[in-house]
Amino acid sequence: MPRSADRALPNRPLRLLGGAAITLSIAALMAVLFWTILEAAEAQPLSAASSIDIPWLLWITSLQAALSTSISLVVGVAIAWALNRLHFPGRGLLAGLFASAIVTPGIVVAFGLLTVWGRSGWLSRVSEVWFGAPLDLPIFGLGGVVAAHVILDGAFAATILLNRLNSIPLERLKTGQSLGLSARTRFEIIDWPVIRSSLPGLGAIIFLLAFTSFPIVLLLGGGPSVQTLEVAIYSAVRLDFDLNAAVLLAVLQIGLCSAIILLAAAAPAVPVSVAQRSPLRWRDRGWATPLQGLVLLAATAGFGLPLAALLIDGLSDAVQLLESPSFWRALGTSLAIGLASAILTLVLAVTLAAARAASSLKFFRIGLGVPAYAYLAVPAVALSLGAFLFIRNLGIAPGAVAPLVVIVANTLLALPFGMATLSPAFDSVVRTRGRLMRSLGLSGSKQFMLVEWPLLGRDFGTVFALAFCFSLGDLGVIALFGTQDFVTLPLLMLRAFSAYRGTDAAAIAAVVLILAVAAFTVLPLMFERLSHARAR
Amino acid sequence: MLELAELIFAYPGQAKPYDFSMQASAGHITAIRGASGSGKSTLLDLIAGFLRPASGAIRVDGKDITKLPPELRPVSILFQSETLFEHLTAGANVALGLAHPDPTAVNAALAEVTLPGIANQSAATLSGGQKQRVALARTLLRNRPVLLLDEPFSALDDEARASTRRLLRNLTQKQQWATVLVTHHTDDIAAIADRTYVLKDGTITR
Repeated sequence: MPRSADRALPNRPLRLLGGAAITLSIAALMAVLFWTILEAAEAQPLSAASSIDIPWLLWITSLQAALSTSISLVVGVAIAWALNRLHFPGRGLLAGLFASAIVTPGIVVAFGLLTVWGRSGWLSRVSEVWFGAPLDLPIFGLGGVVAAHVILDGAFAATILLNRLNSIPLERLKTGQSLGLSARTRFEIIDWPVIRSSLPGLGAIIFLLAFTSFPIVLLLGGGPSVQTLEVAIYSAVRLDFDLNAAVLLAVLQIGLCSAIILLAAAAPAVPVSVAQRSPLRWRDRGWATPLQGLVLLAATAGFGLPLAALLIDGLSDAVQLLESPSFWRALGTSLAIGLASAILTLVLAVTLAAARAASSLKFFRIGLGVPAYAYLAVPAVALSLGAFLFIRNLGIAPGAVAPLVVIVANTLLALPFGMATLSPAFDSVVRTRGRLMRSLGLSGSKQFMLVEWPLLGRDFGTVFALAFCFSLGDLGVIALFGTQDFVTLPLLMLRAFSAYRGTDAAAIAAVVLILAVAAFTVLPLMFERLSHARAR
Repeated sequence: MLELAELIFAYPGQAKPYDFSMQASAGHITAIRGASGSGKSTLLDLIAGFLRPASGAIRVDGKDITKLPPELRPVSILFQSETLFEHLTAGANVALGLAHPDPTAVNAALAEVTLPGIANQSAATLSGGQKQRVALARTLLRNRPVLLLDEPFSALDDEARASTRRLLRNLTQKQQWATVLVTHHTDDIAAIADRTYVLKDGTITR
């Protein structure tokens, strides 16, 4: 935050108090859950986890995460490069498709892959018609897991990198074009420096996502051969009923994720601002343009085909699903949990971001951010395990408080993204309009209703939509807390898949995908309209 | 000589289109003065080929270049900022855009702009005035007959401003460039311009 903003606003005690209260509450909650896990670990002999080959588990998790990260970055660079150069009708739609990767649930992508590449998937059926034999591709195992991660994380990387390329100063591009730079030289001296600076931070995020991946590995891992620590914890709790092993794995998971976050913190931050596309249209000459076209075709097929196949297959089987009471119950639960998580996330993120912006003390600003991001170190399944043990220690049946735990866990999952969106936005308002607000005597609710809400309405909508979508697609938390009576759509889908009811699972996945994309598209616009209406 | 003949251009939604006609002679500096938003940068973008006019012609030494892409136009352009790629050395910046860069020629061009021996120095370490000189050295090597300058002195201090202006004037005369300078600084115009046009309401007047 620039020093100039420090004196732009007087301290807002209520905002600071609200931020501090939330920070302390989250810190206390995390500490209690972590302590519960540690206490459980101390009570268990180390040999309890002897049935799990931990070195192998770490090796395969790291290998999978490293492969997913490196391939995703290469794919992301290629897509961003091609989208930056080519202009055609539908380009915005295609960029929007890749941007929606952030809210596309992993379980949906995994199922989409199965719909295309699985034993009874599209390609296999085509092969049977044309060649008389179905295809038997190794979709279960390392290849399938990495492919699913690359689809999601490659598209995510492409969106971030495209924003970076679009923010290259116009004068630099004009100078390059005027000099007649070749496609290769242009990439080397104009694009690559911009891309390179984003790769360490982006790589760290993708590595962490792949390292802690749950639904994709659960569906496509093919059993114990390819797992992550999260899946191993889930298996230990729900399948093997081995709490000792789960606790030890959770401690290992928290330690490793903390180490990765510390390493990632050393990398330059990835700017998340969306840049406006510069009006300059400079097409590369020679081999580059056909190559860019090929890249976009392959990327569209790779990312779009599984989702399109899922929608086509899923919706054609949806009629049967619509007659099922359990589907409607799960849909209602998912929507209720999603809305509750989204509201809670928005309230927490706004309070924390407003408090950060109101403070000029660096230490306080950092302190307000730490608990929100600390959740990254304690991923969903580990957190859920902590909550599970804590609630059980209190003598309460975990099922009785399951909805509350799932809402809180999903909120904490979305909070880092909420803070990443809102904190720079609130800082920017203070930086650019702080002095004016101070001179006009705007504070408290007036500051919020007259300045911040109208200016940041769309950002609020983005946070609300992100939290809703994360919750809608969550499997990590609900997998531990779900019961016969408390089922969300992803859990219903997993159960249908496990019971070999593939058509039901595909239909549920299609519904989740439609809900997520619709929410991500509509909610930010709705908030923007609402905030402008209030401003008038 | 650079000649603009009834060059018409409008951005989408713009009610009154720009209508540019002017001449810039070889060996002279032609200044275009105008307020912010008057269309100075649009004029340079049209000459450099970043924008396509609806009608009219741009000629250099009698040859119509209106339909040529920017990289094939006999034009060099210098901006107020972003003239150099800062992660490259000064020499690499000078050699950019040349099919077969010759280190001796690069060094000679740098010496010509009074920066001898800095070819291996990172562009990021240069001052604002030095960066503009390195960009001028690149222009020297490319040797295009038209030089476009978009507020090139705005980011410079008084001393660097005066020396860069002198250098620009000398090079324009020596290389016989038709130099077009757009600016809203009247002191720059008074110091080096041979001819001045005023850009107002979308048209150019002398």
